[in-house]
Amino acid sequence: MKLLARFRSWLRAVSRRSQLDSEMQAELHFHIDSYAEDLIRQGVAREEAMRRARIELGSLAARKEDCRESLGLRLWDDLLADIAYGFRMLKKSPGFTAIAVVSLALGIGANTIIFSLAKAVLLDQLDIPHPEQLRLFTLYLSAHDSLIHDVWGTFNPGPGGTTETTSFSYPVYELIRQQNRSLQDIFAFKELGNYDRLTATIDGHAQMVTGQLVSGNYYQGLRIHTVLGRPIQPSDDLVAGRGAVAVISDGLWSRAFGRSPSAIGKTIALNLTPVTIVGVNPPGFTGAANVQSSPDVFVPFSMQPVILPQGKEPLLKNKDLWWIQVMGRVQPGVWDSEALAALTVSLNQAIRATLPIPKAAAFPRLALPSGSRGLNEMGRNWSARLYVLLALSGLVLLLACANIANLLLARSAARQREVSVRMALGAGRGRILRQVFTESLLLSLLGGIAGLMLGYLGRNAIPRLISRSWQPAAFEGRFDWGVFAFTAGVSLLTGLLFGLAPALQSTRADVNPGLKDGAATTTKRRQGLAGRAIVVFQISLSMLLVVGAGLFVRTLVNLDQTDPGFRPQNVLLFHVQPPLSRYPGAMGIDLDHQIEQRLATIPGVESVGVSSLPLLANNVSDTDFVPDGQANHAQHEAEADLNLVGRGFLQTMGIPLLFGRDFNDRDTESAAKVAIVNRALARKFFPNADPVGKTFTSSGKHILIIGVCADAKYSDLRREIPPTFYLPYMQASGQPDLEGGVTFELRLKTVPESVLPAVRAAVASIDQDLPLVDVRTQTEQIEATLANERLFAALTGAFGVLALVLACIGIYGIMAYTVARRTNEIGIRIALGAPTGQVLRRMLSEAWLLAVLGIAIGLGAALWLARFLASLLYGLRPSDPATLVIAGMLLMGTALAAGWVPAWRASRVQPMEALRHE
Amino acid sequence: MGKQVDLLQGTLDMLILKAVSLGPLHGYGVLLRIQQISLGQLEVQQGSLYPALYRLEHQGWISSEWGESDNNRKAKFYQLTAAGRKQLRVESEKWNRMAGMIGAILETKSV
Repeated sequence: MKLLARFRSWLRAVSRRSQLDSEMQAELHFHIDSYAEDLIRQGVAREEAMRRARIELGSLAARKEDCRESLGLRLWDDLLADIAYGFRMLKKSPGFTAIAVVSLALGIGANTIIFSLAKAVLLDQLDIPHPEQLRLFTLYLSAHDSLIHDVWGTFNPGPGGTTETTSFSYPVYELIRQQNRSLQDIFAFKELGNYDRLTATIDGHAQMVTGQLVSGNYYQGLRIHTVLGRPIQPSDDLVAGRGAVAVISDGLWSRAFGRSPSAIGKTIALNLTPVTIVGVNPPGFTGAANVQSSPDVFVPFSMQPVILPQGKEPLLKNKDLWWIQVMGRVQPGVWDSEALAALTVSLNQAIRATLPIPKAAAFPRLALPSGSRGLNEMGRNWSARLYVLLALSGLVLLLACANIANLLLARSAARQREVSVRMALGAGRGRILRQVFTESLLLSLLGGIAGLMLGYLGRNAIPRLISRSWQPAAFEGRFDWGVFAFTAGVSLLTGLLFGLAPALQSTRADVNPGLKDGAATTTKRRQGLAGRAIVVFQISLSMLLVVGAGLFVRTLVNLDQTDPGFRPQNVLLFHVQPPLSRYPGAMGIDLDHQIEQRLATIPGVESVGVSSLPLLANNVSDTDFVPDGQANHAQHEAEADLNLVGRGFLQTMGIPLLFGRDFNDRDTESAAKVAIVNRALARKFFPNADPVGKTFTSSGKHILIIGVCADAKYSDLRREIPPTFYLPYMQASGQPDLEGGVTFELRLKTVPESVLPAVRAAVASIDQDLPLVDVRTQTEQIEATLANERLFAALTGAFGVLALVLACIGIYGIMAYTVARRTNEIGIRIALGAPTGQVLRRMLSEAWLLAVLGIAIGLGAALWLARFLASLLYGLRPSDPATLVIAGMLLMGTALAAGWVPAWRASRVQPMEALRHE
Repeated sequence: MGKQVDLLQGTLDMLILKAVSLGPLHGYGVLLRIQQISLGQLEVQQGSLYPALYRLEHQGWISSEWGESDNNRKAKFYQLTAAGRKQLRVESEKWNRMAGMIGAILETKSV
């Protein structure tokens, strides 16, 4: 209470400064007047009375200051004075201020951008009430004899050779849910993502949207209320094929409905199935799968058989396919370990009830990690890279700090006299220290504000760099209080860090020598040492950053120059995903064939390819491959990658056929099954024989090899070319690979823009509800898979250049300072006959020495640290000698160039001027 | 005026509290009141009076209000708060105990 009252009184005094001042003035004047009147009454003359009254009270300014101190305003007044003084000092040397603020802004801005990215990917939780209560059902499948074979979802390597997955079958989910007593209600969802997008026809206009299938209790479980309309309810999810309702995201509501309330009740077609929009999600809600971006539509599981038909029976009844994600909230009073034990029992019961159990079966192990960040796939994929980026941007900031510390050190030497005067007048060391830190913090705050603005402007640069030009951004850079607090904290910390050296320096000042005029002084050697140590530190940091930049740039160049095994130029790609409700089974193949033929007639199109998966798009399909007569392969060895292609695929992509024949029009559904294999497959399975004419078995079918083609990269450039075989899609009826639609490849004689309208018209003439999806060139596709590498090369390159510039400033600063201090000495040398060349060499040799020392230290650190980057590099070792040598030479050149100007100036010193100088 | 006594360190606050406990006073009035009560024996340094008033107000023992003085001028009047009254009691007790003790010590005859 008392503290609060005091604080209030303090606050009043601070906020009403001028009122307080005038009140004090009035009070003191009243005192003087009253006293004087009393004196007059005692017979003193008026003039004399006033004089005596004033003398007795003393100086008004001093009394007011005493009173302010009584109110606890002393620190505050000092601070204001320091800030005002600090601003004056900064204004006096605009060059220094500009360099300091700009380098800080760059350093802090870079850190802000990287942190906002790291926060979105690694820290942010789902925007729902109490996300920390969520538990994500996770399975570890053993490598051998696992009960679960058929998974539609993501895998990650788990501990001890296991495979981690979050996929469950719908019947198992239902059984666990019925038995569940240990968590609050359990709910399920399936993020359809970019691979299984839905065609949405809204007001007669077809577009692709992303979707999530959710259980009826999903919204209850997440405790999310719609901002408009109602959420999906258990009653929507009762009967398969019923419950034609959808809740849309805030994003789709803006995009397609202009945020109009009339969207509620509207009927749209999802994959040609009419559904009614019943609700709109709040803006921050991103679904349970991830925290970065929201699917466009949420539909109950019961609609799966209609909207996404797969196979004959609804997936909801399928006991073999594990595909949905399951979450629950912890129950108050139930430990995680108790819940896990109970749920493991019911999981095993559910598996026994739904799957045939062979003798040597290994049950999956259940775990219940936190679901507060959804499935957290982005966090998994990006954490290693983000730590590297955070470390690098931290190094850049450290470098900027060192730079400013160095400049401040030189300045503090120049201000030695001022400090000595103040101390001689009675200022305490603490008081001087406080003022030095105030000035440093002022600088860092200015840099922080500029950096924050820079970060705000650049917040979307990285999400844009890593997302594909033909798809919506993976996520938006979000700026919130967390980022603001981080930036403020970093600014403060940098201010304290670079303020430390000059602060120590200034308190070491001796009053006596400092006051003696122009003394070429006692502290010179020591302080020169501090400055040089900082420069060596700067050079070694720069070396680290330049080496990092070199490694990543060379990785990108290596990847760019990797021969993919086909000709990506002039190939246009697009995806067509016919809704299975309109084109079930073989009808989809007929449609693809029709489109393929129609496209071939377009002028400007040289040839047309079709494939179940596009090349170099991080997608791969692999399956069993057993050459007939070689049944003794171990299971994992009898596998090869597969792509289902049209007859013009090899020709269109420019993959040369080496032996045998290409697919042709006679390879139809009814003809004998045929395949073309690549060289890697031929080498692996038929090492000493001609594969053409041999047969093999895959997915229970006997297939004849009719040709061998050259090796071509499949999923990504980094991966070794896998053994691959191609089957004609016309013979692949019922293959699940075709259910997600196919990619058409067009080799063009002209630019894509001139052909595209005709291509769209051709597809629309066959079915006008079929949008072209993901239209891009093959070159763009390859560049997209290199987005991460490009991002790294760009960022580390920028960091490297920044490091060089900062090192340059640092070396120039210290050299210029040295020359200025030694003008007198140099003048004497020249007067005594030293040749200018010798002076120049002498000065330069100092820069050279600093550079060699810094580079050597940096080299050691780089060699040690680069090991951690090995997994991110391609085509070179972390200790790549060329990169190290070039980086070292670059820094040496920079150091000598930066040292040259002051050294040259030193060699041109006029002896007479120099001697008069001091 | 008779011979004046310098104020003991730390007793000014107590005297101010005592002075305003008898009724609201402006700063100059506090000065006069202390002199009056001490029959002119105590001289308060004018320079230290106002910082002390501000300190006491900051601590919440007195409160201030602008009003009119006897000669119809605007003046700032101080008065005791409840917390101040309690503080005055505590300080007086402490002072009396101390004075008694020191008096007793000084009056002890040598053995």
